[in-house]
Order: sequence, then structure tokens, then C-alpha cells
Amino acid sequence: MSIKKSSGIQKKYLQHTLVLLTLALLLSSMGVWVYVRKNMTSVIVDKYEFMNEKMGISLDNLYEKSDEVTAECITDDSVQQSLKAKGLENVEKNALSKYFAYIDLDDVAEYCYVDNKRNVYTKSYSNITYEEFKESGFGERLSGSYAGTEWFFTEDTLFGTGESALFVGRMVRSMDYAHEPGMIFFKMNDQFLKKLMENKEAMEETAVGIMDSSGRFCMQNFPSHFSLSGEDEKKLKSLAESGKSGIISQGQRLETGILQAYRQRESGLTIFTIVPNSVLTSGLNQILLVLIGIYVLVMLIAVGISLYFSRVFTRPIQKISREMENFDGKDFSHKLDIHTDTELDKIGHSYNEMLANIEQLVGEIKKQEKELRSSELHVLINQINPHFLYNTLDTIYMLARINGEEKTMKMIQALSSYLRLSLSKGSDIVTVADELENVKSYMEIQQIRNADLFHYEIDCQVEASKRWILKLILQPLVENAIKHGFDDIFEGGLIRIEVKEVSDRLSLTVYNNGTAMEQEMVDKINALGKTPIVELKNCFADQKHGYGIINIMTRLRLKYGEDVKFEYEVQGDGTKCRILLPGDGRKNDEL
Amino acid sequence: MNYKKPILAGLLIILLLGLTGCKENKENTDSKTKAEIEIPMILTVNPTTGKKNEEELVNAFNEAYKGIYHMDVEWIMETEEEYRKNLKRLNVTDKLPAIITDLRMLPSFYEMMVQEGRLENLSPYMKADKDWQDMVEPAVMEACSEPDGSVYLAPISTAMFSCSGVFWNRQLFEEAGIREFPATWEDFWACCEQLKDSGITPLALHTEGTAWAPMLLATAELADSKEGAAFMNELFPDSYQNKNGLRMADTLKRLFAYTTEDALHTDFDVAYRNFASGKSAMLPNGYWMIEQIPEDFAGNVRFSVFPGNKLISSPETFGWAVVSSYSDEVKKGAVQFLKFRTMFNQQEKEAFLEGNTDKDNQMLADYIAAYNSGPQMVPNYQVKWNSVLQEETLGEYLPKLSKGQIGSEEFTRMEDDSIRQFEEER
Repeated sequence: MSIKKSSGIQKKYLQHTLVLLTLALLLSSMGVWVYVRKNMTSVIVDKYEFMNEKMGISLDNLYEKSDEVTAECITDDSVQQSLKAKGLENVEKNALSKYFAYIDLDDVAEYCYVDNKRNVYTKSYSNITYEEFKESGFGERLSGSYAGTEWFFTEDTLFGTGESALFVGRMVRSMDYAHEPGMIFFKMNDQFLKKLMENKEAMEETAVGIMDSSGRFCMQNFPSHFSLSGEDEKKLKSLAESGKSGIISQGQRLETGILQAYRQRESGLTIFTIVPNSVLTSGLNQILLVLIGIYVLVMLIAVGISLYFSRVFTRPIQKISREMENFDGKDFSHKLDIHTDTELDKIGHSYNEMLANIEQLVGEIKKQEKELRSSELHVLINQINPHFLYNTLDTIYMLARINGEEKTMKMIQALSSYLRLSLSKGSDIVTVADELENVKSYMEIQQIRNADLFHYEIDCQVEASKRWILKLILQPLVENAIKHGFDDIFEGGLIRIEVKEVSDRLSLTVYNNGTAMEQEMVDKINALGKTPIVELKNCFADQKHGYGIINIMTRLRLKYGEDVKFEYEVQGDGTKCRILLPGDGRKNDEL
Repeated sequence: MNYKKPILAGLLIILLLGLTGCKENKENTDSKTKAEIEIPMILTVNPTTGKKNEEELVNAFNEAYKGIYHMDVEWIMETEEEYRKNLKRLNVTDKLPAIITDLRMLPSFYEMMVQEGRLENLSPYMKADKDWQDMVEPAVMEACSEPDGSVYLAPISTAMFSCSGVFWNRQLFEEAGIREFPATWEDFWACCEQLKDSGITPLALHTEGTAWAPMLLATAELADSKEGAAFMNELFPDSYQNKNGLRMADTLKRLFAYTTEDALHTDFDVAYRNFASGKSAMLPNGYWMIEQIPEDFAGNVRFSVFPGNKLISSPETFGWAVVSSYSDEVKKGAVQFLKFRTMFNQQEKEAFLEGNTDKDNQMLADYIAAYNSGPQMVPNYQVKWNSVLQEETLGEYLPKLSKGQIGSEEFTRMEDDSIRQFEEER
């Protein structure tokens, strides 16, 4: 399929299809992008929320474990005995020092128990004195607590390593008496908290960290490409210091990613997970690529289908176009053969009909031209003959006069007068006076031929020499009146011709008192005004009848157009024909 | 082209509508209803009957204060001794519930709790609440008050329900030909002999759990003399190596001659089972046991004052305390509960005095008759004597005394040793 060979319609169709499709895809891709982004973010956040909560619960469990184990230490008989007035024997002291090494708590790096008699119980190699314990400042760490388990992340001034580490501390109180309490501290290995971050896969892509209640980082595991912004650090610190507990942040948007945070109630430690922006967008980019791929495929398929289906319509249109372009006005044989089951089939059919009409019109024009030429030839011939005819009539008139034949003289005079108008060359338009003179001559001839058959009256109420009319209009009407109206009488006939002006129009009526025209014929004639001119001649199947009427009607409508009115009317004692001409009767004289 | 603008505008509107649709319509569904304040408490389930102690009181409070306070009670299956030891463990691990009971039966522990500020002073609450004050009998109020006027133990309304006497099996007594409970100690010992001769174990006793049952009998017997009664009123006596101490030791030794073989090194629950199963004819205990005795057995059980018309009572042992480390709102709720308890107790007393009680309950009738007979009230040794004696010495040396491994003198010497230990720790 080549677009270059495509039609203009096809190109436009393709252009609009592509524009609409592009817009549709653009909009849908934006919708899909927004929706997918939201859902992807939600899925990822849900996943890491769950992970963070799980770590938070593990942190709770760690705390509870430390709480249980230290509670066991406190209620241990030896520990309780160490608080009593009597205190412990040296052997018992040694045993108690070792007791702490076997408690059920993993990842204890060091321990230190100080009873209320300044005895310090540690691992054998630690050798911490009571004074060193006092100097470490650890005693003050528990000052605000009665007997709760305290976690604190601080520099190791107790065991002298100087490293920051997590410590578990607790007041050790006597169960029975109001003695001074002892204190116990466990220094935890890094592994203690690192156990929380066991999900290696998640650790590779997310930033996980633990902060104490003052917002200090105890532990962090950030991907190599990730670093916290200053603003994000402030937000984290604020959360850690909030004093809230449980899930304190879910899907909170930070500059560097999305934050989940869980704050352990008793320890005040906050474990957080930040899903970096890069993780959020990486999944989206893959979806975007797939989306673009699908859209490109959709567009290609759409273009292909558009081209294919558009050809169903453009091919017939092209065919029509080609036929019309190639039509030379002579060859009418090229018919369109279109079968698309669409409106195009009608167009093809209409084109074929139009071609047939044009062919018919051209044929008629040719025929008319031929007839016109023949007519002109006869006119030329007849331009010579009238002189001969008039001379001959003059001679006959002279002979009749010599012989004293009055009727012959009168008839020759009437005939001469009639022929002068009928055969006269020049315009078809004549004065009303000439037309009346013509019909008068005709009627006089007919009176001579049919003695006593009829008499006539002419009532001209207009200035006959200044009003105009198409010539030879009244004569056929009078001829019809004599021929059909007086067919059944032999005398007493009346023909009355009336010319007058009605509403600025010229009214001509020819009345005869003979046999009235049949109503059916009247209606048929009156309907001729709405029949196309070309079909007028076919209105009367019998060529012997109606020729004069058709002739008059055709000529009047050709001359005056549709303004002319021609109608018959049957009256009680005869038939009246009425013609209304526009203006002064010279309309369309230029034709 | 002219039509492009309307199309673009239309598409833009669709896009905006779409984007607007994407925006989450998140309604603030935060509930503003204030949650009930939970007040944690631990109470025991009677190990023998399975009945939850104080359940009626707790349910009544929760119903009355629905939506405001809720007593979140953990009922645990523990003996009284286990419960009291657990209280100490909970204290040193800072896990005490908001309201604690039985505190006054642990003298040194109570003293420590007061000294370390672990208990809420209820005096300001009570002073500000005359209705509450009016509910409490003066004797009970005095027993619950410290010399400086502080009140750490919320009082019950009346001492009426705090008395202990002797429950006895009427059927076993009849089998032995005994129709009445002995009125004097001489008759008591004779009664024991008669029961024993009839093949019936007279006494249900035990040695653990501060040896409650034998100590009730022994201290009641001690108070039968004027000196003995005075000795029982002493707080933390200086010595037991005296006439009174020896008399009590002799009595204890004599009592264990009439008890079951499993009485040694066991707690009260064993003694109760022996009594409730008809193995033993007598068991000293308080009013609260009336409700705990199974119905099918209750018809055989009667209640009497100790010989010599004595009842043992220290109403402060029924005082409950509020732990001070809780939040103000929890403490306020806890205090409200304690006031409710006083009122509840007062209503019980009124119903009791008006006779609105079970007329067919012989034990109850016996108790009312005993309380109204003008008995001599002997203080509970648990509030007077040191913890070492109660929690260690009695459990360790009473079996030896009963088996004759040590004499009364040795026993009193051990008792004095407990005083020394106690003083050392104090």
C-alpha cells in the first residue's frame, strides 16, 4: 500500500485518523500512566509497609525478649539475695557473675550487674570496678525508670571500647524490701539489630535504618546510590522524637522516596524503610516501554486497517472521478458499475441517469438544430414566395373586381390581410391591433366559407396599437372554436373576443357559444401549465387533437415563461378560453 | 482549522476530568469517639470451684461506666500464695496492674510499696468525696489509714464480711455424735478426740501459704487469754520466745495431731478439698468461702465462731490499692472503681441486714448469727506479723513442729530468727 498513490480523500482520512488516534492514545496513555503510577506506587508501598511493619514487630519481639530475660534475671534467687542485707558469699558472687553469661538472650557482647553493695558482676576479663561504673555515667541512664527495661544507644563508656552500641539496662529491685536497687546492663552486638534486616533482596533496593528516640541513627543500610537529603533527615528525626508508637508513617512522600516507619513503644527505637524514587520509577519505565510498544503496534494496525477500509470507499470515488474527468461530451457509452452497498452506489446510478439525460438532451438539441436549419431554409424560400403570392392575389383580386365578384374580392382581401401577418418576417411580437386584424381576417374568411354559421364580436378595451402580443395566438383558438364548438350547429354561432387589462396584465378571452368543451378536456388543458415544456407535445396521444393548444402553450411559455396563464372554462352557454400575459406583452422580447 | 480548538478544548476537559477522577477521594474517617479507658487488673479464679472472684462487682462496674471506664481484668488460676508472689514479681518488673489486691497480707511488701511511692495515696480522693467517706464504717477506715493519715488501701464499706470462723461438716459431727460446735477450747479438743475416735479426721490443715487455716485456729486460741489477746494486737512483736509464742506453738502442734497426712508442705487448696470432700470435719476460713462451697455439699456445712466466741477480722486486708505509675486518667478510673466497690459492698451489707438473703442458706444464717452474737474480734496475724515468719518460717518449721522434729521452744526460736532477718532487711 503506498500512500503516494492514495487519493486526496484517503490522505485526509488518514491524517484525521492519525490525529484522532494519536490524541486518543495520548489521553489513554496519560490515564494509564497516572493510574498505573498510582497503583504501582501503592503496590510497592504496600510491600514495603508490610516489610517495615514486620521488622517493627520483630523489634517488638526483641524488646519483649530482652524484657523477659532481664525479668528472669531480676527475679532470680541469687540476684534477689544479692540485694538483701546479708548479701552473697564469694562463691555465690562468682556463680552470679557466670549466671549472666548463660541467659537466654542472643548477641550479648558484655554485661554488667551492680548490686546495692557496690559489687560489680561482669565477664571475668572485664574487671570493671564500682568506681569505673560510676564514672561511666550509666547509672544515671536508669534514673527515670522504676524497673522497666530501657534500651539506649550510646557510646560505650562502661566497657571502655568507646564504640557506640545498643545497651539494655534495667533497675534490679528487691521483691520484698525497700532496699537500694541494683542495676544491670547488657551491651548488644550489632547483630542484635541487624537480624531485623534479614530480607537481603529488599535491603538491596531500599534504605533501611534504625533511630533512637533522640533521632540518632543506630544503624543504617542504604543502597550505594542512595543518600538522604537534609530535609528528609529532619523529617525522620521529627518522627523519631514524636513519642508516638506503632506504625507512625505509611507511604509518606519524602524528597528521596517513600517512607514507612515503625516506632517501638518501650524502647523508643524507630525502624524505617525508604523506597527510593529510582525503585518507584524503574517499574514504571518498564510499563511505559511496554505501553509505547503496544501503542506503536496499535497505530500501525490502525493505519493498515484505515488504508484497507478507506479503499473500499475511495476506489469507487476515484472511479467516478476518473469517469467524469475523462468524459468528453460525446461518448455516452461509459457507464459506472459500482457495488459497495453504500450511498456511492446511488451516486454511480445517478451519474448513469444523468449521462442518459444528457445524451437525450443532446439528441433533442441536435434534432431541434436540424429542424431549425430546415425551418430557416423554408423561411428563406418563403421570403421570396410572398411577393409572388401577393402579386398573384392582387391579380386575382383585379380579375374578381373586373368580373364584379364581391365575395371573391372580400375573401381575397381577408386572405391577403391574414397572410400579411402570418407570413411577415421579423419579430414574433406584434401589436394587439395586428393580432386582432389577423384573427378578424381569419374569421371573415371562415364566415365566407360558412355562411350564417357565426358572427363575431371584438371588444378591445386597451390601446391596441401600444400593447403587444405573441403573434398567431388568437387564430388557433378561433379555429378550435369553429372546428369543435360549432361542429354541431349551422347558424347562430357567436365568437366574442375580449382584450382588457387586469391587474397590470393583458387579458385575452375567446368565447364561443357552441358545444361546450368536455370537462375532462378542460381539466387536462388547464393542467398543461404545470407540465414540463419538453413533455407538452406528448400530452395528447392523438396527434390530430390538441396540436393548436400545445403549439400556443409551448410558444407562450417559451416567450413569457411561467408567468403566463392559459385556461379554459366551460360556461353555461359555451366555452371560454382566457390568456393572461405579463406586463405589456413584450416580456422576453429579446428572446 | 476552526474545529481544532473545540476538539482540543473537549479533550482537555476529558483529561482534566480523568485526572480529577484519579484523585483519591480520601475522606477523613478518623473516629472522634473517645475510647473507654481500660483499667488493668488481675484477679484470681478459685482453683477448686473455678469461680471468678469478684466477677459480679467487675461486671456491675463495667455496665455502670460503659463507654467511660472498663475494668480489663485478667483472671488467673493461682492460689493465693502464688498470686501474692506474682505481685512481687510484677512489681520488680514494672508490670503491675493498675489495681492490686491482697497487699495488706504482705506486710513487708506493703511497707516497701509505700516507701517507694508505688501506691497512690487515696486520702485526697476520699477527703474530696464525702459520699465515699460516709459509706465506710469508722473501724474499717481506721484500719485502712496510715498513722500519718495517708490511705493506700481503698476500704470496703463494712467489716461484716471480713470475719473468719470455722466451717464444720454437720453430717460428720452427727456421725461422731456431736450436735453442736464446741463453745470452748476444752470442748473443741474434746470434739476433736470424739471425731478422731469415730474415724473422722477432725481438721483440714496445711502448712504453706502462711499456714492460714492452722494459724487462724492457733491465734484464736491464743486470744482466748487476756495476754494472748494483747499479743495479737501487737504489730511486729519483738519476740515469740515467750508464754504466748510457746502457747501458740503448742496449739499448732496439737492441731496437726487431728489433721490429714497430706497437710504438710501443701497449701490451703489441699485443705479445702479435704473438707469439701468430707475427709475432714472442720476448716477455718472467712465469710467469702460461703459462696465457694458447692451447692450439693453446702447443706452439710455450718459456720461457727471460734471457741470462746471469737472471730478473726482485719478489714484492711480487703483494701485494694492503686499503682501510682499509671497515667492520671487510668488512676482516676481506678479510684472510681474502688469507690464503686465500697458502694457495692455497702449495698451488700444493707441487703444482708434487711434479710434479703438466701433464707435456706444455713451457713449464711450461721454467719449472721455469729456476727451478731458480739464475738471478740481477733486481728489477723497476716497484718501484724513479719513477712519472713509468714512466708518462710511457718512453711519450713511448722511441718517439723507437727512431726515432733523440733519442739515448741525451737519453733519460737525460729520465729524470732525471722524477726531478726526481717529487721535486717528493713
